[in-house]
Amino acid sequence: GVFAHLEMLEAQAHEAALKEEEMEQQEEKLVNLKARVEELRLRRDELRAKVDLQEKRQLGKEEVASGSAQPSAQAMLEWKLRSVKAMLQIFYLTGISGKLTKRGVCFCISTAYESTYLDSYHLDLLTKPEVRIYRHSVPIFIPLEQIAQKYLQTDIRRFLSVLSDHLNAYAGRRYQADQLQEHFSDQIEGTLQRNSLCNLLVFNYNVSRKSQTFPFNARLLYGDPCCSLPTEAIVSC
Amino acid sequence: MDETVAEYIRRTVVKTPRDEIKTMLQKWGFLSETQLQTINFHQIKENISRDVVQLCEENSADIKQAAALDIIYNHIYPNKRMWSVYQMSKRGEETDFFDVTDFKKKFKRRLRSALKNVTINFREYEDDAVWIRIAWGTPYTKPNQYKTSYVVYHSQTPYVFISVSVLKSNLPLLCQALVAASNYHDIREMELRSHSLNSLKDIVFKRYSQNFQTYYPKPLQERNIALESADLRIVQENRNEKERILRVNKEVFGDGPQPKLEFAQYKLETMFKSDPEMNVLDKKEPFRCVVKFSSPHLLESLKSLAPAGMADAPLSPLLTCIPQKARNYFKIRERKGFFPGSFVSP
Repeated sequence: GVFAHLEMLEAQAHEAALKEEEMEQQEEKLVNLKARVEELRLRRDELRAKVDLQEKRQLGKEEVASGSAQPSAQAMLEWKLRSVKAMLQIFYLTGISGKLTKRGVCFCISTAYESTYLDSYHLDLLTKPEVRIYRHSVPIFIPLEQIAQKYLQTDIRRFLSVLSDHLNAYAGRRYQADQLQEHFSDQIEGTLQRNSLCNLLVFNYNVSRKSQTFPFNARLLYGDPCCSLPTEAIVSC
Repeated sequence: MDETVAEYIRRTVVKTPRDEIKTMLQKWGFLSETQLQTINFHQIKENISRDVVQLCEENSADIKQAAALDIIYNHIYPNKRMWSVYQMSKRGEETDFFDVTDFKKKFKRRLRSALKNVTINFREYEDDAVWIRIAWGTPYTKPNQYKTSYVVYHSQTPYVFISVSVLKSNLPLLCQALVAASNYHDIREMELRSHSLNSLKDIVFKRYSQNFQTYYPKPLQERNIALESADLRIVQENRNEKERILRVNKEVFGDGPQPKLEFAQYKLETMFKSDPEMNVLDKKEPFRCVVKFSSPHLLESLKSLAPAGMADAPLSPLLTCIPQKARNYFKIRERKGFFPGSFVSP
């Protein structure tokens, strides 16, 4: 009896102790888990707050962007067109511009004198089998063939540069001769003698001094075909 | 005043259209404005001419003034004559300082040294053109004012425009004098002839519109609107083809007006190609044939052939090369294609 009873009691106590230990463990676990949950919750809230902030920033940007350019595609196209046209205008203003064609390239040489734009001349070049002039609108009295023979095959840049010099000088001389006829017609006697290249000008003019007029004759020779100023001037009385 | 001079002036006035007589006399400048006001320009031309001759009598006109009036008449109405283009060539490369006084002196001296009995008159115009009128005589007779040749020369260019009415035998003399006066060495006749002097100038000076491709912004053409008809019930079935034809035409002929030529002549010296069974020609010799296209305005009519549906676009290069090659007389031989006309140098 008694020992069995005692054993039984001991066993019970042992079991109870075990149970208590288990319970304690479980409680500890629970407490840990609860703490973990809290931790995770905190973490989640932090991340949420970050995401919110990012989204707000995005929205803010979009709002700013969409507010100033409403029809974006159309405006882009127009802006692109404007800038391309401006670029082409710049090329044209440099005096020598070109466009690739099916069989070669077409150059446009523009002339100007001081601040006045004058005529443009075109050259249609073929590049195969060799570089040659297909057609052009250069005046016949400009020595195009000579210049082409010297430079067209070997140094096309030089060819265009020399041709442009000739054309600009011619345009400048012609413009000056026209202006002389127009603005000084009262001082010039008779007509101004000139020629196609405007490299020889002969005219008679009057100079008045103390109510007396003196007739003069001027003969201007433009020796340099690439220059729009005379190289020789003979004034006789 | 000389009888012949009076008659010459009278005839020049009579052949001018009545409405233009006063302007022409004003350009001439020989009769003063007050004198011109005394003439009634509404009467018949016979009477006008008599009045003009009377006034010329008062001013003692001589052959020089009569010739000047003739040049002015021909300058206003150049299309009444047939013009031929000649090309000069020189060996040197030096820049030429063309002095028109020098040119006139050399020309007169050279021509007169070969033939004394000529009347030579010059007139310069604003476009750097010198007009020369030559009335031809013979070594034994005085110049006949009705047998005249006209030369139009633009300084510092190799082209001369000559209108020879009669006496082709004087042409070599004329050519020699031109070459000497303009500092060139050689001259040859080009295969280019027309009544329209300005069109000939346009062709050789390349003043006609050539379609150059550039980026320089040009105003947009409105030709697309022409294709769309006002009535919406009418639909263009082959619009693509029509547009292609217009585009190809524009590439070839350009946008602007064409130079005015009256004909193009093709002399064929090619072999006749036929079905061997037909046996048309036993001998293998070239089939000689001349094809001549005539029109009041040849190039414009060629330009409108394709859009009118009468020919395929692009047109044959034989037709479209006329302004570029500056010729309207062609000789076509076997295989080699084009052949330039013969080189004639006096």
